[in-house]
Amino acid sequence: MNGTIEQLKADVLVVGAGIAGLQTSLDLADQGNRVLLVERQPSIGGRMINLSKVFPTLDCASCITTPRMASVAHHSSIDLYTYTEVDRIEREKGKFRAYLTKKPRYIEEELCIGCKRCEEACTTYLPDEYDHGLGGKKAISIPFTNAIPQYPVMDMDNCLLCGSCAKACPTQCINFLQEPKTFEVEAGAVIMTTGYNLTELSAKKQYGGTKYPNVISPLQMERLLAPHGPYGGVMRPSDGKIPSSIAFVQCAGSRDKSLGVPYCSRVCCMYAIKQAMLLSGSLPIADITIYYMDIRAFGKGYEQFYQNAKAMGIEFVKAKVGRISEDSEHNPILRIERQEDVAQPEEVTHDLVVLSLGMVPAWVPDRDGIIPLETDTDGFIRSMNEKITPSLTSLSGVFAAGTITGPKDIVDTILEAGAAATEAANYLRGQEVR
Amino acid sequence: MEKQDNLDNINQPEEVRVGVYVCHCGGNISDVVDTKAVVEAASKHPNVKIARDYVFMCSDPGQKLIIDDIRENNINRVVVSACSPTLHETTFRKALRRAELNPYLYEHINIREQDSWVHKGDHEGATAKAIRLTMAGVEKIARQDPLEPIVVNAEGHVVVIGAGVAGMRAALALSRRGLGVTLIEKSAQMGGRTRELDTVYPTEEKAADIIAQLEKAVRDAKVDVRLNSEVEAIEGFIGNFEILIKSADSKTAKARAGAIIMATGFNHYVPYEGEFGYRQSPEVLTLPEFNKLLTELPPSQKLTYKGREIRSIGFIHCVGSRQTEGIHQPQPDGKVNDYCSRVCCTSALHTIHRTLDRFPDLHIYDLYKDIRTYGRGHEDYYERASKRGVLFFRYTDDGLPVFTPPQKDKTATLTVKDVLTWNEEVTIPVDMVVLVTGMMPRNIANLITMLKLPIGADRFLQEVHPKLRPVELANNGILVAGTCQGPMDITECSSAAGAAAAKVSILLSKDTIEMDPFVARVDTARCDGCQLCLAECEYKGALTMAENRAKVNPALCAGCGSCVAVCPTRAINVAGWTLDQFDAMIDAIGAEETESELVPA
Repeated sequence: MNGTIEQLKADVLVVGAGIAGLQTSLDLADQGNRVLLVERQPSIGGRMINLSKVFPTLDCASCITTPRMASVAHHSSIDLYTYTEVDRIEREKGKFRAYLTKKPRYIEEELCIGCKRCEEACTTYLPDEYDHGLGGKKAISIPFTNAIPQYPVMDMDNCLLCGSCAKACPTQCINFLQEPKTFEVEAGAVIMTTGYNLTELSAKKQYGGTKYPNVISPLQMERLLAPHGPYGGVMRPSDGKIPSSIAFVQCAGSRDKSLGVPYCSRVCCMYAIKQAMLLSGSLPIADITIYYMDIRAFGKGYEQFYQNAKAMGIEFVKAKVGRISEDSEHNPILRIERQEDVAQPEEVTHDLVVLSLGMVPAWVPDRDGIIPLETDTDGFIRSMNEKITPSLTSLSGVFAAGTITGPKDIVDTILEAGAAATEAANYLRGQEVR
Repeated sequence: MEKQDNLDNINQPEEVRVGVYVCHCGGNISDVVDTKAVVEAASKHPNVKIARDYVFMCSDPGQKLIIDDIRENNINRVVVSACSPTLHETTFRKALRRAELNPYLYEHINIREQDSWVHKGDHEGATAKAIRLTMAGVEKIARQDPLEPIVVNAEGHVVVIGAGVAGMRAALALSRRGLGVTLIEKSAQMGGRTRELDTVYPTEEKAADIIAQLEKAVRDAKVDVRLNSEVEAIEGFIGNFEILIKSADSKTAKARAGAIIMATGFNHYVPYEGEFGYRQSPEVLTLPEFNKLLTELPPSQKLTYKGREIRSIGFIHCVGSRQTEGIHQPQPDGKVNDYCSRVCCTSALHTIHRTLDRFPDLHIYDLYKDIRTYGRGHEDYYERASKRGVLFFRYTDDGLPVFTPPQKDKTATLTVKDVLTWNEEVTIPVDMVVLVTGMMPRNIANLITMLKLPIGADRFLQEVHPKLRPVELANNGILVAGTCQGPMDITECSSAAGAAAAKVSILLSKDTIEMDPFVARVDTARCDGCQLCLAECEYKGALTMAENRAKVNPALCAGCGSCVAVCPTRAINVAGWTLDQFDAMIDAIGAEETESELVPA
C-alpha cells in the first residue's frame, strides 16, 4: 500500500448488495441521492441470484434479480464497491465515517474485459461456493454466469502460481502481487442490509446433515433445480442417481429451542412447497413428501400456492421427524411419528432429503463489530419503532432492511427496502421519524 | 434485394445503416446457438452494415462496441440479439443515447429465454430460430423513425385515499419529503381499523398511542387532512390528476396531484347467519366483537356476557379465510375466500392472552387448521398459550367444527374431529364462541370503476408484480399501500407505505415525467372518422374526435393497440409497433429458407 487512503463521499452508505441493498440503493439514487453500495462478495445479487425460481409466481430468480443488478451497476448516482469489506463505521459530528478494505481479485479491473480466457486456461479445480459445494470452479473464475461485475477472482490460497492464466489473458490484467486497498467514506446516513445465513446443516445432530451425502440443504436443492445447476438436472450427490422419492423436513432449523432458534423462519414452508412443485415438474414420477408441524402459507397468493401443490399430488404429512439414519446405499431413513392416522413411530426411506433450514442473521454486531447496533433476543437487529418505522435502529441515522431485522421473504424484503430508503432520504433532510 | 424496395415507401432521409450485435450471454446463448452463423446471416442483409458477436453485450466493453460503431461507422439503427428485453432493453437504449443516437432506433431480440434456454438439445433449430428472430428485428428497426419520449408536467402534490396506518404513514413520509399531501378519510377520524384495537402484538403498545403519535406527526407535517370526505371524481393522468373531494356536508373541493396512493384498508369478514351459530346464538361473536367487549368491560373478577358468567370460550380460526370451494358457502360474487388472512392467528392468540390476563381461570379451547405465528415475536404467543393451559384442537376442511346451541340445562358445545388425537371426535362445552374472522377488501367499487383499478382473484387491489413492482398498480401514477392490497399487520402496512412513498418521491422528484412514446398515432389523411376506435378504447380520454378525425391524448393512451385492430383504413398505429413493422417482421420470420441458413454450423 502506498499510504494514501482514497477518500469517498456519499449521501447514503448501503452495506450489503442482496435484493434489499439493491432495492434500497435504487430507491435512493432514483430520488437523486448519491449512494455508495458495498458488497463483501465478488458479485452483487446476494442470496436471491443463487435461487432457481421464486414463490408464488415461479418467476426465474435471475430474471427478477439481474435487471436490478444491472440498474445498480449502471446507475450514475450509485458507486459500487464489490469484494469489499466494511471494517468499521464511526459516527462523527452527525455524519458517518466508514473504513473499507477492497480485497484483491489479483486482476487489474480497468484492463479486464471479462473474456474468461484465464478461467479456461486455469488447471486447478475447487469446490464452487455458489453451487454450495456441489459443483466445481477454477482457481481463477468469474463467480457465476450473470455475476456483476464480470471480473474473475483468483483464489490465492489454492492457486499453483503456474501462470497459465497470465499467459492466456489478452490484456495482461493478471496481477499476482495485488494488495488490498483501503478507502474512507463520509456518508450522511447508513442502511444496513446484510441479510441472513441459513442455520447449519449439521446443527441438529439427529438429522445427520453433512454426515449423510443425501441429506442436503435447501440452497443446495435450489442449485440442483436451477437451469444452470451443477449437474444440469436433479441428481443426488452420493451417486448421481435421479431420485424417485424426495422428502422435506420442515422446521429443521427453526421453532426449535435446542438449536437456539425458537422463532419461525417464515420462508421455509413456502420454499419447500416451491421446490416440491419444481421437482414434480422435472421428475414427474417422483414421490414428494413434506413432513411439517404447521404450514405457514400466509402471504399474498401463498395459501392458493399451497393448495395447488396439494392438488399436484405432493404429500403433506403432519409428523415429527425424530431422527435420520441411512442404509448402505446412502438412502436416508426417517424415523417419524405421524400426528394423523397412526400413532406408532415408523421408519420411511427416501432417496433424497432436504432439511428445511431456518434463517439466522449474517452479521451480528457483538460478534462481528463494525457498528454497535442493538439486537433483540433473537439476534436480529432491534427495531426501535417496530409498528410505525420498522427500519429504525438504535443509532440515529442508521437504518436496516430485509432479513437483518428478522426472517422474511423477498416480497416483504423489497417493501422494507423501499421504506428504509424513504426514511434515510427524509433523515438527510433533517426529517427523521423516531 | 427485394426487401430494400419495401423501404422506398417510407420517408427515410438518410441511408438505413443497421448494426447487429449477437450476445453469447457467457454461454447461456452461445452454448446452444451458433452466434457466428447468426452474424453471418445478418450481415447478408443489404441494410446491415456491421454484424458482430460478443461474450456479454451488456458489459461495458460490449456497449462500447456499439457506441464506437455509431460514432465511427455511422450506424444509425441497432439490433441486439440477447436476453429478454425486460433485462437490458433500457441498458442499450441508454448506450444509444450516450452515442447521441435516438434511443428508440433500437430493437432488442430475445434469443435466450425464447430460444437457447428452451431449445437446449437442438443446436441447429435454435440457430435457425435465432437467425429468423434477428432478421425480423432488422426489418422492424429499418422501418423505425426516431421517437421522442412523452413529457408531462409533474404536480408536486399527492393525494392519499384512506387515513388508516398505511395512509397516515405514507402521507407523513411524503410531506416530510417536501411534497404537498392531501389525506382523504371517509370517517370522522384518522386511525382506521387500528382504532378498534386495545393493545397490539408483539410490542404490546396501546393502539391509541400509535394512532396519537401518527396523528400528531401528520398534523405537524402540515398534511391537508380531509375527514368525513370521499372522492367524488378523478380525472387526468400521471403527473396531472384532478380529484374532486366531497365532504359529508356536501361541500366539494378540488385537489391536483401528480400521484395517488390507495390506502383504503380492509373490512372484517362477516359470517353469514348460522355460520357456527353466528347471529342465531348470542354467545357466538367474531374476534373484533369480542375484542370490543373485552376492552369495554368494566373491571371485574368474572367475565359476564348478557347476564351470564362465561367460564369457557372456544376460538375457531380461519372463519372467512382459507375456504374451499364446495365446502364453504361462497360470497355474493360466487367465490370463496381461498386466501389466508395472515394476521388472525397471532391476533387471536394475542386476544387469548389478554383474556387470560384478566380472567386466569377461564378455560380456552383453540380450534385451528395451522397456527401461523410467523412474525418476529409471534411464536412466543403460541408457546405461552400452551403453557397457560389453552387446549389446541386441529381441524381440517373434512371435519369442520360443529356448533350446537345451548339447550335447557346444557351449555353450548363445539364438536370437532381432532387431527392431533388421530381424528377423535371431541365435544367441548363452551359458554362462548369467538370466530376468528379474516380480512376482505373494503368496498371501493366506485373507485375501482372510476379509475379502472386492477383487482385480483381475491378481490384485493392487484399490484403489477409482487417483486418487480410491488406497490404500483397497472395504472400509471396510482400506487397502493396497506391492506387494500392484501392482508398485512400494522408493521407491514408501515413498510408498504414507506415503499409506496419511495416510488412517489422518485416519480415526482423532477418537474416533469418522461414516458415511453409507444402510444397510438393517427394518420389524419387516412382516418375517415368512423369512430370504431373510440368504441374500442378502454382508457377514458385517450381517444377523442377532433374535426371528424380520431385524436390521441398520448398521456392517457396505454398503447394497447385495440384501436389499431379495429381501424378499417390502417389509419392508427402504435408508435414503435406499426402494422408495417409487424408485416415486415412476419415476412422475415416466415420467409422461405434462405441461403444464409444453409451455412454449415
